[in-house]
Amino acid sequence: MTNTIETPVLAIRDYSLDYETANGTFHALKNIDLSIGRGEILGLVGESGSGKTSLAWSIMRYLSKNARETSGDILLSGESLLKKSNAEIEAMRGRRISMVFQDPSTSLNPTLSLGHQLSEVLMRHRKLTKQQAWREGEAMLARVGLKTPAEMMKRMPHEASGGEKQRVVIASAFACSPECIIFDEPTTALDVITSRQILDLFVELQEETGVASLYISHDLALVSRTAGRVAVIKHGDIVEQGPVASIFHAPCETYTRELIAAVPDPTRRLSSPSVETGAEPLVRVENVSVHYGRKPFLASLTGRSFTRFKGNNAVSLTVNPGEILGVVGESGSGKSTLAKAMTGLNPFEGKIWFDGREIRGLKDMTTAYRKDVQIIFQHPDASLNPRHKISEILSRPLKLYGDGSNLRQQVGDMLEKVRLPRTHADRYPHQLSGGEKQRVAIARAFASKPRLVICDEITSALDVSVQASVVELLLELQKANNTAYLFITHDLNLIRQIAHRIAVMYRGDLVEIAPAEEIESADRADYTRRLIAAVPLPAGASPIASATIASEGA
Amino acid sequence: MSPNYLLKRLLMIVYTLFVVSLIVFAITQVLPADAATMMLGENATPEALSALRQTMGLDAPIYMQYVHWLGHLLQGDFGHSLRTNQPVGPAMFAALGRSLLLALLSIGLMLVIAIPLGIIAAVRRGKVADMLVSLVSYLGVALPEFVTATVAVLVLADWLKWLPPTGYVPLTEDFFGAIAHLVLPVCVISVILIAHVSRMVRSELVDVLHTDYIRAARLKGVSGRTVLWRHALRNALLPTITIVALDVGYLLGGVIVVEEIFAIPGIGRELIVAIQARDLPAIQAGVLIMAATYSIVNFVADILYAWLDKRIQYD
Repeated sequence: MTNTIETPVLAIRDYSLDYETANGTFHALKNIDLSIGRGEILGLVGESGSGKTSLAWSIMRYLSKNARETSGDILLSGESLLKKSNAEIEAMRGRRISMVFQDPSTSLNPTLSLGHQLSEVLMRHRKLTKQQAWREGEAMLARVGLKTPAEMMKRMPHEASGGEKQRVVIASAFACSPECIIFDEPTTALDVITSRQILDLFVELQEETGVASLYISHDLALVSRTAGRVAVIKHGDIVEQGPVASIFHAPCETYTRELIAAVPDPTRRLSSPSVETGAEPLVRVENVSVHYGRKPFLASLTGRSFTRFKGNNAVSLTVNPGEILGVVGESGSGKSTLAKAMTGLNPFEGKIWFDGREIRGLKDMTTAYRKDVQIIFQHPDASLNPRHKISEILSRPLKLYGDGSNLRQQVGDMLEKVRLPRTHADRYPHQLSGGEKQRVAIARAFASKPRLVICDEITSALDVSVQASVVELLLELQKANNTAYLFITHDLNLIRQIAHRIAVMYRGDLVEIAPAEEIESADRADYTRRLIAAVPLPAGASPIASATIASEGA
Repeated sequence: MSPNYLLKRLLMIVYTLFVVSLIVFAITQVLPADAATMMLGENATPEALSALRQTMGLDAPIYMQYVHWLGHLLQGDFGHSLRTNQPVGPAMFAALGRSLLLALLSIGLMLVIAIPLGIIAAVRRGKVADMLVSLVSYLGVALPEFVTATVAVLVLADWLKWLPPTGYVPLTEDFFGAIAHLVLPVCVISVILIAHVSRMVRSELVDVLHTDYIRAARLKGVSGRTVLWRHALRNALLPTITIVALDVGYLLGGVIVVEEIFAIPGIGRELIVAIQARDLPAIQAGVLIMAATYSIVNFVADILYAWLDKRIQYD
């Protein structure tokens, strides 16, 4: 292009969108002004409910029936999308503007082969025959870094890994060389190392094709490492936009500053430096293994041996009183299995010593043990009974482990401890926000004055700012009660801020346990270093290991 | 699907039938009359009864009687009817054949009507077409079969004289006559089935149309028609297979009223006759044959489901 004043590929001018709901009009987007030029990546950052996804649907012209566009226009290379007919929109989608979705396991049709889903785009928009499209598809899959494209084309979605599926989705988004691609949290559903590989692929393809990209994410650290410019959206308003460097180093708006401050930064430690290691650890997990799966019928008939799926493989670790032990690993690495074994939700082999007492199985997990060892789950929606009032939810452990007297008073005190108003006792879980619900779950776990609390990914469903305040609360409770935490997470930046020691798990095995400050050391195990290198640090933090990760096992 | 799984399922069917045989045998034992009384009548002398019991093996211990009965069963011998003194096996299988013919035709007609209705209702959800489909299908399920059957006979057979009112003609004897006799019962049964299958197709399709992968397909620019036929329908129709297989149970035993009204000697009707006559071997044979058919149909449905949905891995 030689034009000096280039028309932006995508321009959104004073665009507003309302939803008509039973409770009145909801203003989802308010006078949005954005533009993306050729070869540019615009990061769109916001918390859940901020209108990020509504904007994506508006651009793709995929609006629900109750949506009303009240002002402005959306222009693709100067053409108004609002004025296009349905047929024109259908012909435009996938050809001139395409989209990559958050979760490849739900955005691919489970009963059609990957090749079918890729080649249909080519047949539709480039008018190729079936054979041509299939051959072209194979070439596309090779380009997105899949090792065996011909074989991958024939596979069904359930036969491919998450990373492989997302590569196929990216291949079909790039298939017709569109002018603009919207990436809607394309790595959020993937594992740390896989998501880094997908991110590298995105950057590479983006540079190669020069496609204008709108990169939607809630992960500021990630956006700061990929995008050229960033727009921050809050309640349907773009509060601030500009080049990455100025947004991250000199934000003008309070909201942006809060958002940036909430991003976990491993260089900023939040918990006390270390705990005095007494003579005896609080918990000693000794060679704990968990196996899943029943013996197949035929094998039990014939006495043939079979291999069961391993959830945990002879894991041994200790937790000291008042210590925060982080457990990290990818999905399927056995983190949650360990938590389940320790709470008696899974049968296990091996031994657990708790405060000198030997626990060999469920029958040893007495009321005293349960009082001392509590667990908090990832989704408060699933772990709080929707038909019980908060007061009922919190009274249960008080009656079970406490004296059960003066419940009303005690429930109120518990709510105050987790910084919720006492009046929340009369509410139902659905009347609370996600962060408030998780606080109730925390209050419930602390009701029995436990000595060990197992936190199973308890912040991963929350927004960054909510996560920051929940983490702050947890550290406060830990200091006040000297409670030990087994903190399971996949967020390495967060765990490096709060844990004293970090246990790294991989496919059911415990790779190593290292003090949090030494996790970056070169002496660490190979897998640990790969994991650490895969995580983008927020801009301004210590420099990232810039080497791209080999794409093996994507 | 592993051979392991197939073998396991086949063994499960054998086990099921074994349990059914035990129950059936036990029930026929507690009925207030035994075979000898049934054959000689209420006023037979005790001597004559005990003599007959001896010849029939009814004086042996119950478990021996069961073993004896099961032994013959495994050789394909279901015993002789106490009523007609004919072998019950062939009679029951012939009745099963007639019932299955009626069932297959009804399912076929039902699918041809219910699937399009469900699709229309799902695609036009909340619109007039959707409400019409629900109205018609609820009407079908709300009216008992004796009402629809009677009305159908009255209008189409009695007044218009388009179709024969009742009776059964074997296909091999007079093909067109047989079809003419089957039209009314098949329609009456289909009406009942259409209701729930079309509701099922509708709700499944509505769910599928709201999935991420359908949205992804639309945003790739795939046309609305292709999305419906290639992406949505297959996934939406899968659960229907299970429902249809469950319907076979109803079609074998539950359509007795329809069989009665249209005088079709199906297995349900044969079984009722056998029960009324206390014809123990016929009752045992009828129940076992129905249970076997039901098990096999559900087995086939599971295999078909796994074949269509490759995600399902039985092991």
